[in-house]
Amino acid sequence: MPDEADFKCLRCGAEFKLHYVKGVIEERTCPRCGSNSVRLLKKKETAGEPGK
Amino acid sequence: MMDVGRHPNIKLLAYSEIESISGYIGNFHVRVRKKARYVDETQCTACGECAKVCPVAVPDEYQLGLSLRKAIYIPFAQAVPSAYLIDMKACLGTNPIACGKCAEKCDKKCINYDMQDEIIEFDAGVVIVATGMDVYDPTELEEYGYTRYENVITSMEFERLISAGGPSDGHFIRPSDKRRPKTVGFIQCVGSRSERRGKPYCSNICCMNTVKDTLLLKDHYPDVEAKVFYIDIRAFGKGFEDLFKRSKEAGVQYIRGIPGEIIEDPVTKNLKVMVEDTTTNRISEHELDMIVLSVGVTPRADMPEVQQLLTLSKTPDGFFMEAHPKLKPVDAPTSGVFFAGCAEAPKDVKDSVTQASAAASRAMTVLSAGKIKLEAITSVINPEICRFCTICAQACPYKAIKVEPKKKSIELIEAMCKGCGTCGAECRFGAIKMRHFTDEQTYAQIDAYLEEDPYNKIIVFACNWCSYAGADTCGGARLQYPPSARLIRTMCSGRVDEDWVLYAFRKGAPIVVVSGCHFVDCHYIDANRWTQKRVEKLWDKLEKLGIRPDRLFLEWISAAEGQRFAKTMIDIERHRQRVTKEEIEYTMKVLSEQK
Repeated sequence: MPDEADFKCLRCGAEFKLHYVKGVIEERTCPRCGSNSVRLLKKKETAGEPGK
Repeated sequence: MMDVGRHPNIKLLAYSEIESISGYIGNFHVRVRKKARYVDETQCTACGECAKVCPVAVPDEYQLGLSLRKAIYIPFAQAVPSAYLIDMKACLGTNPIACGKCAEKCDKKCINYDMQDEIIEFDAGVVIVATGMDVYDPTELEEYGYTRYENVITSMEFERLISAGGPSDGHFIRPSDKRRPKTVGFIQCVGSRSERRGKPYCSNICCMNTVKDTLLLKDHYPDVEAKVFYIDIRAFGKGFEDLFKRSKEAGVQYIRGIPGEIIEDPVTKNLKVMVEDTTTNRISEHELDMIVLSVGVTPRADMPEVQQLLTLSKTPDGFFMEAHPKLKPVDAPTSGVFFAGCAEAPKDVKDSVTQASAAASRAMTVLSAGKIKLEAITSVINPEICRFCTICAQACPYKAIKVEPKKKSIELIEAMCKGCGTCGAECRFGAIKMRHFTDEQTYAQIDAYLEEDPYNKIIVFACNWCSYAGADTCGGARLQYPPSARLIRTMCSGRVDEDWVLYAFRKGAPIVVVSGCHFVDCHYIDANRWTQKRVEKLWDKLEKLGIRPDRLFLEWISAAEGQRFAKTMIDIERHRQRVTKEEIEYTMKVLSEQK
């Protein structure tokens, strides 16, 4: 889905999708434990991927 | 409005728009565009002869398009100043088609087609924001058929239809056949209290507006049958319950249930609804001549412009946020700016007048004092160290820092600074010091906390207004949280410098927590957004250095969330117990080398 990205909660380790627009800062909360220590999981670049 | 117009100490700039506001409390400079009316308002006597001869008719905005007005018009009957103006988009003018009938008819020669917008500039000590609200447009609720079915109208349109100054001169008629309706239904909470469509909040005024409308209807036309479909009637406030009772006693039926759909009879144009009355659990069908959608209140569409003009912040529902909901309910976070009316939240006339009186009083306390008390906790800039990178000016939520890189000049306007310290945390050159919250003071606190047994400590940076108060609430409620937590108070989480976090790790802290207000509660407009940005960068940095990012936590905890504070600290203590001595020593070594 557009405007969504994968995030990981540093407190409980849960991985989930949240609304994300680059450059826009939003309050993010882990849906499992409620922590705000929610980190964007950056996509690993692969050799064949276009634009890389 | 007449009183305002006549008052010797009030200058009313009608038909005008603010272009810019610069400065700060006591020293605002305002630039206003006074739009061309094309009619000299000082000479116009509102005789109306011009409108009589005007050949152009367009929908009347004041009557919500239910009637027409001329291209030369008075916006509404009680408008101040009582003078005509020309809608140039509709006017035929004199070019290319020569009309000019209004100018010919005007004996006082008030009409000037070449009139230009005028720019007015003045200084002001304080600003009161009373920009009002919009009403919800129910067109998107297709099941109600608004704009598809002629006899489905909004509560605003109903107001106009029943008003003596309205399009039907106060004769209550339904739009499809201009007959007086015999049965009228009111559907409540249209566009309010809905998470999916419309707004999630209660609009505050619609219940009592409907109660008032039903009483008006029953007063004027006792034979009209009125039915109100509602979720619950919120009749709080002086005399409101009594008014609600009067409405029921007058024969108005209140049915607890909202119709799922309106169906129009294509021949009679009558409207049918089915509704489950949740007080009796029975489904009933109603045929009505007219349905009034009791629409909710929304923030004005042009609020972002006003927000930018005065560096204001908004609550999640889109209305302007006050400095403090209980202690400063009419003050904006920006000093010298106050709120009145629905710009701050949906409210009725009485509450708007109360807030307006309070805003005027607050304004007078500032103006009559002649001087203001500054925050003791403000930033101090050392221009000799400053590299004029402008990051501090970008970070300041109050725009209190003026930097001119080309001139190599930087100035902090202390009257605007509220002391969040975000500028100091963002400055990479150490050019900004914050009074009472200096780097040295914080390092001394970290040193003291980690002097003994550092591996068993959690350093928690907590903002004064929310997280620190949340810890207090936790303690006050006798909730247990691990004794390993060591709190360092800052005015705002925005003050927590990257170097403070790294310093704590370097000194042996196994875990560091940065905590502050939830985004909507930030006491410094949006300073805590910078906190989040900084922590996100720090996670990346720690990872690059081979340090687990999950040793640094970011938590938003409000003053009321004592329980959340306790739970957060208990969870984080478990993380602390998993941090090994080897990890801590590695961190200390790596960061010492970095330094």
